[in-house]
Amino acid sequence: MNRHHLKTALGVVALSATLLGSTLALPLPNDTRKQTFNLAPGGSVSIVNGGGSVTLHPSTGRQVVITATRYSDKVEIDFTNTPEARRVEARTHVLSAKSTSDESRVDYDVAVPAGISIVVNTSTAPITIENVDGDFSFSSDAGQITVRNAANSFVHVHSLTAPVSLSNLTGVHAEIMSSGGSVQMVSVTGPKVKVSTTSGDITYQGDCSGGGAYSLVTHSGAINVTLPETASVDLSAQSVSGSVINDFPFRERSHNTFVPTPGRSFAGTSHSGSSSVELQSFSGRIRVKQQ
Amino acid sequence: MNCQKYQENLPHTIDSGGNAEEEAHLQSCTECASVVQDLKYIANQAKLLLPMHDPSPRVWQNIQSSLRNEGLISEGRTSLMAQKTISQVPSSSSKAFSARAKSWTPLGWAIGLAAVVLLGVVLVNYHPTPTQPEVAQNSAAGQAQVVADQELIGQVSKQQPAMRATYEDSLKSVNAYIVDAKKTVEDNPEDSAAQRQLMDAYDQKAMLYEMATVRSLQ
Repeated sequence: MNRHHLKTALGVVALSATLLGSTLALPLPNDTRKQTFNLAPGGSVSIVNGGGSVTLHPSTGRQVVITATRYSDKVEIDFTNTPEARRVEARTHVLSAKSTSDESRVDYDVAVPAGISIVVNTSTAPITIENVDGDFSFSSDAGQITVRNAANSFVHVHSLTAPVSLSNLTGVHAEIMSSGGSVQMVSVTGPKVKVSTTSGDITYQGDCSGGGAYSLVTHSGAINVTLPETASVDLSAQSVSGSVINDFPFRERSHNTFVPTPGRSFAGTSHSGSSSVELQSFSGRIRVKQQ
Repeated sequence: MNCQKYQENLPHTIDSGGNAEEEAHLQSCTECASVVQDLKYIANQAKLLLPMHDPSPRVWQNIQSSLRNEGLISEGRTSLMAQKTISQVPSSSSKAFSARAKSWTPLGWAIGLAAVVLLGVVLVNYHPTPTQPEVAQNSAAGQAQVVADQELIGQVSKQQPAMRATYEDSLKSVNAYIVDAKKTVEDNPEDSAAQRQLMDAYDQKAMLYEMATVRSLQ
């Protein structure tokens, strides 16, 4: 072999090695697993995930169908179901602490039957559920939590900075607690709607119907309530050091549990005052206006 | 029957009323009647002040010893309660002591009455304020809370380094909430809205701890 041939051979080897290295460095193709479980009425589904997403929607029959997609081999997805079909669990298991957020993310698409208990815990993964009735308990540090189109459901949410969005929920018992995330509600009604934040803003748009007890409490966040003229509420708003602004035509209450202070607190009734609405902030601004 | 003899027997007769001779003396002597009236008043007030359970016999014996050492009572005199107590102690020495027991003098009762009145005045005018140990305890609780918060942040840093700043900010916010709400409740103890906000602030902090713990376990 002369010198020219040797150079050519070395070049081919080097090129092959480079190509092989590039191939190894490429991310793994998406790895999707689909699991189907039967779930007894009143059973529960639990999803534990860090990053990625969790999306829930209705299934047919009594089946739970979990489709999980991972983007690296540095995470595993563990499925558990009990023999009596009372509980199904899917859990993301990060294998290496050095994994990046992209490597450890998993996207869950979960089809669930109505009337079950659903528990989802995530760190940054957004949680979205729509058109499902049941008992929901969602917790996320930073992933947006969205609940749409449910009736006669229990909605329990814990959020650190995750924004929370609830819309078109009727007959719900909702307890929402967020430290710094905003909470937005549109057409959310039921026997009990309780929202509290430390610094997150709270927005409510709807008629507070159903004769329920609505309580919106914050430390430094703002509270904005927009009511239609037809709303039948008995409303009180109090702020220790924030401002309270009312643009809704309430009737003055005949009896108050506190002495209203202009700019700091007020109370009023609209129509028969069937629902109780209490707005409280420490330093955040409270505003009530007509839709 | 003279006053001295009547008052010496008074500890034994105050409940029963004594024999016919003693009863006759009481009816005729305003001074002894006044002493009996004072004793009954003290006994009634003492029931309100003292706990429902009698202290142990040892307590009365110690009191008696102390009074004797202070020279407030002589060897031959003891109180009604001490006699009652001693009679409950089934020892031969107590029986011997009981045999020697005599009643308090009017001076002794006067001192007792003064003590009761003094105690009443103290109780009525007692306005609890944080004592040094209480202040220290509160400070210690505050320190413990700071340590717990730091441990929580440490745990979050290990498990979710990216979330450390978020948890730190949230803890800072919720601690400020608690401070504000506490102050409002202290300024307006009857304000139910302020109380609710304080409870809400603690709920918020509990939520942070719960979330951090759950994430750590994951």
